[in-house]
Amino acid sequence: MPEIFERRSRESHGEWVITRLIQTAGYSSIFFVLMILYFLLANGLPVMKDVSLSNLFSTVWYPIEEYYGILPLILGSLVVTLGAALIGVPLGILTAVYISEIAPQWVKEALKPLIEILAGIPSVVLGFLGAIVLSPFLRESLNLPTGLTALTGSILLGAIAIPTIVSISEDALNTVPRAYREAALALGTTRWQTIWGVTVPAARSGILMAIMLGIGRSIGETMTVMMVTGNAPVMPDSLGALFAPIRTMTATIASEMGEVSGGSPHYHVLFFIGIVLFLITLGVNVMASRIAFRQRKRSERVLS
Amino acid sequence: MDKIVVEHLNLRYSDGTESLRDLNLVIPANAITALMGPAGGGKSTFLRALNRLNDLADVVAQSGRVLIDGKDILEPEMDVIALRRKVGMVFSRPLPLPLTIYQNVSYGLEVAGERNREVLDKAVKLALDQAELWDEVHDRLSDPAEALSGGQKQRLCLARALALKPEVILLDEPTSALDPVATAKIESSLSELKKNYTIVIAPHNTQQTARVADWVAFFLQGEMIEFGPSKDIFTRPKDKRTEEYILGRYG
Amino acid sequence: MMKYLLTISLILLLAACGPAGGEETSSSPSIYIENKGSDTLVNLALAWTERYQSMHPEVRLSVTGGGSGTGIAALMNNTVDIANASRKIKQEEIDMATSNGFIPIEFIVARDAIGIIVNHENPVNQLTMQQLADIFTGRIDNWAEVGGNDLQIVRVSRETNSGTHVYFLEVVIRLGSSESMDIFARDTLLLPSSEGIIAEVRDNPHAIGYDGLGYITDEVKVIAIAMDDQSAYILPSVETVNEGSYPIARDLYMYTPGEPPAPVKDYITWILSPAGQELVRELGFVPITP
Repeated sequence: MPEIFERRSRESHGEWVITRLIQTAGYSSIFFVLMILYFLLANGLPVMKDVSLSNLFSTVWYPIEEYYGILPLILGSLVVTLGAALIGVPLGILTAVYISEIAPQWVKEALKPLIEILAGIPSVVLGFLGAIVLSPFLRESLNLPTGLTALTGSILLGAIAIPTIVSISEDALNTVPRAYREAALALGTTRWQTIWGVTVPAARSGILMAIMLGIGRSIGETMTVMMVTGNAPVMPDSLGALFAPIRTMTATIASEMGEVSGGSPHYHVLFFIGIVLFLITLGVNVMASRIAFRQRKRSERVLS
Repeated sequence: MDKIVVEHLNLRYSDGTESLRDLNLVIPANAITALMGPAGGGKSTFLRALNRLNDLADVVAQSGRVLIDGKDILEPEMDVIALRRKVGMVFSRPLPLPLTIYQNVSYGLEVAGERNREVLDKAVKLALDQAELWDEVHDRLSDPAEALSGGQKQRLCLARALALKPEVILLDEPTSALDPVATAKIESSLSELKKNYTIVIAPHNTQQTARVADWVAFFLQGEMIEFGPSKDIFTRPKDKRTEEYILGRYG
Repeated sequence: MMKYLLTISLILLLAACGPAGGEETSSSPSIYIENKGSDTLVNLALAWTERYQSMHPEVRLSVTGGGSGTGIAALMNNTVDIANASRKIKQEEIDMATSNGFIPIEFIVARDAIGIIVNHENPVNQLTMQQLADIFTGRIDNWAEVGGNDLQIVRVSRETNSGTHVYFLEVVIRLGSSESMDIFARDTLLLPSSEGIIAEVRDNPHAIGYDGLGYITDEVKVIAIAMDDQSAYILPSVETVNEGSYPIARDLYMYTPGEPPAPVKDYITWILSPAGQELVRELGFVPITP
């Protein structure tokens, strides 16, 4: 009898250690996020002391002469991201619909790995292609003064967002019960009516989540935009800004962080931009996970 | 009157699962014809051949003829959309479309191009009446169909098919997910509906077959063993396998 | 007891090996000099490094770019031995270094001319300093205003962390005046590399850019510059820079954190010698002792 007890307790010791290890791993990511947040806040908030609010929220960014207006950078990021969404979302969803609903099996098997390869292309390679191929092409075909524009960045960011949008949307479409499609078809709907009227709406929340994550991915992208958007801190004032150079928050942080000395106002402003970027991506991700949560609740209801 | 005539129908899926072998059968109008037999015998496959829903599946070989009102529906140039409006179907899972109650019923008409509110309203009411659901839902037509009970959902699926004014209604184990009360309601709707429609049903057990069927076809491993009036099949089956199945020796 | 003895003998064995190993490595480089900063200087610094290391195998030099600001920031944090800069250190940077306990020492190691470049299709061949300033501040926005085609001007510059950028701001945009508050036109493209600038100017007939003489290739056209409209238009070259006739030329610097230790001092002395300056000429810069 005592022997059995001993073995039990030894087993539960091992169990205890493993459980703690897994728990620590789980908590560590929370810890990291909190540390990053603390680091950002500690280095970014002193900006309030160094730089006046009217300077910080002005429209001129020229840090070596102490112009710290971050509005053109925020709007620059938003314009590029909006453009990326306009390109990436329709293409991504249509591709997902094609793969999930229309493509014959062999096309499916060829397309899915290809899209995964697209996801794996380093962004600096895309940026390089953008600078030497896409940018001259856009300048000539659209008759623009320069091809280094927000649009160039948007197209490449769209390409970066597409794999995310496609794979998550496709998963969402695949989880739509086959019975939905059959039911619609049995009512005499065509294939397109079934896809647009039944399948896509049924996968709506998954597709919305795909869009959110795709946008989140493109707003944080740095290398590509730095290489193709011209990095001019112009204040975007209309939709025409899409066809002009622009400077994003990420490109600003990446190209200027190396030069600043720790503790200077410029240093604090760059971290403040980091906070703004963090809050925007956080917002997008929270929206995505709320959508995902809603979807899960609904699928639980359907299955019950 | 012979509504559906099946001649030498052969069908095989690519994975070699359920298939049909040399099926010959005449389904009369204005009656309930039940397809009876153990699982995997080809009942579902046969039902899906009647509205060409098998087009979606991986069918490798199909031959023979299926005549509805004298017209071979397996012809490649057959208008499948028109066929499916004429031959409605109810599935075993009571799964309404992710729409409101009203929209579920009007959906088929709307995609067919019907825009007139009055016509739609009338059709929805009639279909819900026929499926004996109107009284329960008339005051909440714009609620999501998801909010209905299982039995109500299945009657909604029936109404959805009826709204298109089909001539034939196919039902694939329509009550397998329902409780006895809901099952009884569906069965009573069917015996009302058969006055105006040709009904082909794959009941989910022998008792149901006995309750609802006017005609019975016994399917076993892709072949039709026996066909005849319900009371003949149940009282004096010609084939030994039919008798053993009815007595519960297998299946 | 046996265990104890074994441990002791192991320790003795290791102790005996230790110094012997140390003696062996003394022939490989033991002096390490880190050199960081200006992208303008980076190729030149690499050439110096290679030549010097082949003569002095005991010295290991590392060179990284990143821009003058990056080099000077590292200097202020005392994390490099030599900071390369294409601009003079600023007073506040000297103050920062002083507060960290040392005074940066300056060496002028070469001279450089900034060439103004346009696309080969552009008919404009010469500009005055005033016109150049007006173009880069945005006061002139069309090539027709300076005798070119009716095309919008696209300005191309290095990023703000580049010494060339700061130099250009002071000498061209502000024309050397310390009162001027002019800055680059806001739609100026800020590109992260010299290659990016050359590529954009090569491909784009709208573009005007600037870059160190050592980086300019035949793919773009160099513009002759005049101090004012009374002066002659001069193209940048070793000769015109040495004569002092080309207006946009500058000194290139190395900074050390405080008085350099002997190996660093020796290296810089060699750079300033005719042997070191010969490399300057080879790389398209201007030697300090003509």
